Amino acid sequence: MRAFANATPKNLTDAVEQVKQAKQGQKSVAIAGGGSDLLGMVKDHLVSPDVIVHLAAIKGNDTVTELAGVVKIGGNITLDALSRHPLIREKYTALADAAGVVGTPQIRNAGTLAGNVCQRPWCWYFRNGFPCFKAGGNQCFSAAGENQLHAIFGGGPSFIVHPSDTAPALVALDAKFHITGPAGERTVAAADFFTLPKVNAAKENSLAEGEILAWVEIPTAKPGTRSMYHKELDREAWTHAIVSTAVVLELDGATCRSARIVMGGVAPIPWRVPEAEKLLVGQRVTPELAVKIGETALIGATPLAKNRYKVPLAKEIVRRTVAAVAAKA
Amino acid sequence: MGKISRRRFVEGTGAGVIAVTAVPLEAQQKKSAATASGAASASAAPRTKIAVTINGSKHSVEVEDRWTLNELLREHLELTGTKLGCDRSECGACTVLIDGKAMYSCTQLAVWMDGRSVQTVEGLAKNGKLDPLQQAFIEHDAPQCGYCTSGQLMSAKALLNRNPRPTRDEVQHAMAGNICRCSNYNHYVEAVIAASDTPSAKGGKA
Amino acid sequence: MNPLKTAGHPTQRIDALKRVTGTATYTSDKHFPGMLYARVLRSPHPHARVKSVDVSKAQAMPGVKAIITRDNCDVVWSSGDTRNKRYLFNNPVRYAGDAVACVAAIDRHTAEEATRLIAVEYETLPFVLDAEEALKPEAPEIQPGGNLSADDKGKREAEVYKRGSLDRGFAEADIVLEDRFQSAHHNNAQLEPRVSIALWEGDKLTVHAATQGIANCRTDIARDLKMPVENVRVVCEYMGGGFGNKNQCQDSDLMAAVLAKKTGTPVKVEFSRKEDFISVHGRWPVTQYYKVGAKKDGTLTALQVRGYSGMGPYRKGRGDQGGPEVYQCANVEQSVTTVYTNMAVSANYRAPAYPHSVFGLESVMDDIATRLKMDPLEFRLKNMTRKYRDSVEYSSIGLEQCLREGAAKFEWKKRWHEPGLDTGNIRRGAGMGMGGFGSSVGKSEAILKVDSKGQYHLYVGVTDVGTAAKTTMGLIAAEELAVPLEKVTVHWGDTADCPYSVGESGGRTTSFTGVSVVEAAKQLKKQIAEKGMPKGSDMLTASVVTDPDTKGLARYSFLADFCELEVDMSTGHIKILKFLAVHDSGRVINPLTAQSQVQGGVIQGLSMALHEELLYDKRRGIPINAGYYGARIMTHLDVPLVETMFIETDDPFGPFGAKTLGEPPIVGVVAAVANAFFNATGRRIKSLPFSRDKVLDALGKKEVLA
Repeated sequence: MRAFANATPKNLTDAVEQVKQAKQGQKSVAIAGGGSDLLGMVKDHLVSPDVIVHLAAIKGNDTVTELAGVVKIGGNITLDALSRHPLIREKYTALADAAGVVGTPQIRNAGTLAGNVCQRPWCWYFRNGFPCFKAGGNQCFSAAGENQLHAIFGGGPSFIVHPSDTAPALVALDAKFHITGPAGERTVAAADFFTLPKVNAAKENSLAEGEILAWVEIPTAKPGTRSMYHKELDREAWTHAIVSTAVVLELDGATCRSARIVMGGVAPIPWRVPEAEKLLVGQRVTPELAVKIGETALIGATPLAKNRYKVPLAKEIVRRTVAAVAAKA
Repeated sequence: MGKISRRRFVEGTGAGVIAVTAVPLEAQQKKSAATASGAASASAAPRTKIAVTINGSKHSVEVEDRWTLNELLREHLELTGTKLGCDRSECGACTVLIDGKAMYSCTQLAVWMDGRSVQTVEGLAKNGKLDPLQQAFIEHDAPQCGYCTSGQLMSAKALLNRNPRPTRDEVQHAMAGNICRCSNYNHYVEAVIAASDTPSAKGGKA
Repeated sequence: MNPLKTAGHPTQRIDALKRVTGTATYTSDKHFPGMLYARVLRSPHPHARVKSVDVSKAQAMPGVKAIITRDNCDVVWSSGDTRNKRYLFNNPVRYAGDAVACVAAIDRHTAEEATRLIAVEYETLPFVLDAEEALKPEAPEIQPGGNLSADDKGKREAEVYKRGSLDRGFAEADIVLEDRFQSAHHNNAQLEPRVSIALWEGDKLTVHAATQGIANCRTDIARDLKMPVENVRVVCEYMGGGFGNKNQCQDSDLMAAVLAKKTGTPVKVEFSRKEDFISVHGRWPVTQYYKVGAKKDGTLTALQVRGYSGMGPYRKGRGDQGGPEVYQCANVEQSVTTVYTNMAVSANYRAPAYPHSVFGLESVMDDIATRLKMDPLEFRLKNMTRKYRDSVEYSSIGLEQCLREGAAKFEWKKRWHEPGLDTGNIRRGAGMGMGGFGSSVGKSEAILKVDSKGQYHLYVGVTDVGTAAKTTMGLIAAEELAVPLEKVTVHWGDTADCPYSVGESGGRTTSFTGVSVVEAAKQLKKQIAEKGMPKGSDMLTASVVTDPDTKGLARYSFLADFCELEVDMSTGHIKILKFLAVHDSGRVINPLTAQSQVQGGVIQGLSMALHEELLYDKRRGIPINAGYYGARIMTHLDVPLVETMFIETDDPFGPFGAKTLGEPPIVGVVAAVANAFFNATGRRIKSLPFSRDKVLDALGKKEVLA
């Protein structure tokens, strides 16, 4: 590995300051959560930082706190801790499910929520050093190449799929992201945090230079709310989702008051399907309706040459997950 | 089973906490001095002094910031029981326990270990007595080539520390991050169940 | 068969303690004073002429000690290509991953960074990845003389085996089926990446290698470096798996030796995981065209298979395709064309010629049985080989028992149903595959000594790649000597004191070296009987060379694999529910480690069937998924419990009648999975692996048999 310096911030403000200082000194900076992914990228020369700011060293930003109307989750919480947290498991199940199926136990023990949300794409072209949009280049090699695992929604000019499992769950749970940076703090809805390639093909989200995803806030679950995250893998551990879905239903008895459905593995961002959600409002979730939800969710999909299979697969995963959440009530 | 031969420099440190073990630092510095002569790149690489507890012994060592924990263990502390299979968090051969949690030592920086406690395969046996997992691994022929074995042991150890009576399914989940290309998965799982307090079909410990 | 006293019972490995305590020393664990680290720079292009290599910036980097390129190193790596000259550094480079330079520096970081400072000017050339494409006249020429690789006599034509007359066979047939099957390049993926350390003392070279055979590694190094073999020593005490890609000597052994000579210090060459995937070798991908004829009663009348094996740009492996020999059929024609391509090099991976070829063969046979409305088990019992190629007697054959007893244990009649009969979203099916694997006997050596305390010392040239070969050799010696295993100390892994062994490839160690061990024990017993036990520091020594033959008999191990799986018709998810592997490997010397071998081979086969492929960007000729993540190699969570069963035939050759066991476990696995998938769904997938896109595409189509 190329030489770099490790910076150990005392707190988030200090982290922002250290990033700022390094940049002022003309040094390239990378921010490490758990480090599993970042260090692999450094070894593969996909990033070449002079300074690594080690966020996980910050003490205290790794808890789940219930406040009035919201649950606050520190960005440093490990995926393992998040997946086992009793409150998250009970009330925000989709997030616990998602955190529990990331990578492997070792990755979940090291990896943080903020790191998982901000991880770079796992497109095999990007990861193998092709000079694509994500690497600062001006083309997407998957578009006419090996695109079995690529986007069926929202693609162009880059066709990556967002790699995070927790991201669809957070969007489905209507989370807000608290961001701290050189210009101060800001809050953005999870759904607005992630950005399409047509906005900026080099990036996956709206973090500006030197900004850090500090913590996440989820509105307190309304009574009757149930959720799940389902991940379809092509081996049972340590792959990113071929297709996944997070479903949050607010149920009144058997009737659905509101619904949020977000798919993963199908688009460069967590892909919410409002038309499908609308069909659920005020309805009982019958098997027939679940099929219709699945069908509706995939309307407008534009598969590439080698990922047509994702369309029927995603329909089925949405159908099953909606039915399964409804059955939990 | 026979007596376990411990590595030279671990000898005498004992299992207790020793304030500062001078040996590794000296050894490490000597080695660096020997190899880094005239190496501007090596000397220019940022370095940090850390205090880390490894297998119960405190070590004060100066590391290059870019060294992984795996590199510190294998190349500078002569703890080569921990292997390196992929160097990318993909295979699990490098698994160690950091503050009791199984993690890939190939993607943890050594400098991040400051103030933390690391357990490696060398720390499993105590006073010449094998850990029950090691004994079960032998009896069930769990290692074939053996290259993934240290990692499998450490993941299993983390599991049993947390859950002394795992089901077969729980064992498979806990060890999902440890590839065995000889694919002796069946024997690994049997061995972990046998070493646990889980009652097994073959009349294991109840 | 006579019962055995020491061998034949489940026995722990003699080195298990070291393997579970982290004290087994693998090549990468070794460090020598002043040792340098070396890293390789590789071509990013699948085919290019190297116009210039400028190492000046790298050379100037502090800590860099030596750099070798084609400009200053013209060593030919003969094991890398047994037909053409394969240099350590080739020009043109012929695949993305071909070595261009190797840098030795004071630490691995410096070596690695220095490779990035080497400026290489390439003139890119057209490339071709597919074997059949490579044979077209317009294809770029990869090796001088064309892309059809020559056989070992230099003839550039397909290797053809024939018996009977296909015309007659097809004329006699009531039905004829034709089909095409394809497999992928997939990697051995052993956990220990390639590593070599070289040290010189004067003109004597020691190489600490990760090798499957110290003796052949040694002679290969001597040959390639043009040295007397006695000046080369190869050491490999513990080895982290190979499954065929650590046979012979490696380019890294030679690079380490050249750099160590140049710098006057020990040098360790390390490959990264990705390099190990791309720049060592995997199994050759095959394309096969079958045409098979049978009578209404199921009798096979003709079997034709035309196959192509893509070897990558260097001929490191045989490229053969096996399987048809397990069928009795009067009219057979098999041709195999081995072809150069610009993909990664292909060579040995566990049962190199079999699991992909048997996938095609056994799929066709299942289809014929289906057409004839026969149970595939009955079809195989009817047509299975009785004599090798219908003419040569086997030394022992337990194939029928494998099929019958396996089917009974698996409850085949209950689990198998007519294909496509299952309905509903989750469909179950059962499938089988059968096979054989040659178990030759041949030359080996062993030295056995006894000291005055009655301790025996066995010297064998094995390295123990994970097969428990050391323990097996110890058990064989103990059995023949009629002493407990503890009385035998096994010495291995160092050419300085271990005699010749073929190495752990081709499943030959037990059959070859085991015979030497038996003979050494017999001779030592005779000496003891004549001279009495040695006194003081004296030792008695028996040093033997054995080279038996099978007296005109064919010697094979046999197997039958049975698989039950379920398919989720809407998601394409395949779950293996049950797998039974039944093996006739003659006498089983150590049932405990034999079970490990079989379970491991089966799971490798399952992973091959369902997941693995070194995937290429077709437009650029560059692999894009090298590594464990990309290859989707099976994890703890993916594997079923694999049941094993041994049919212990009484074979007149080999130690106590033991036949080969290391390679056969993977032979029929892919076929059993494919046939079970067909049985469950009525659909046939004809190319490996069964990735989700292919499965869902197949399920989206109408049933083949509807």
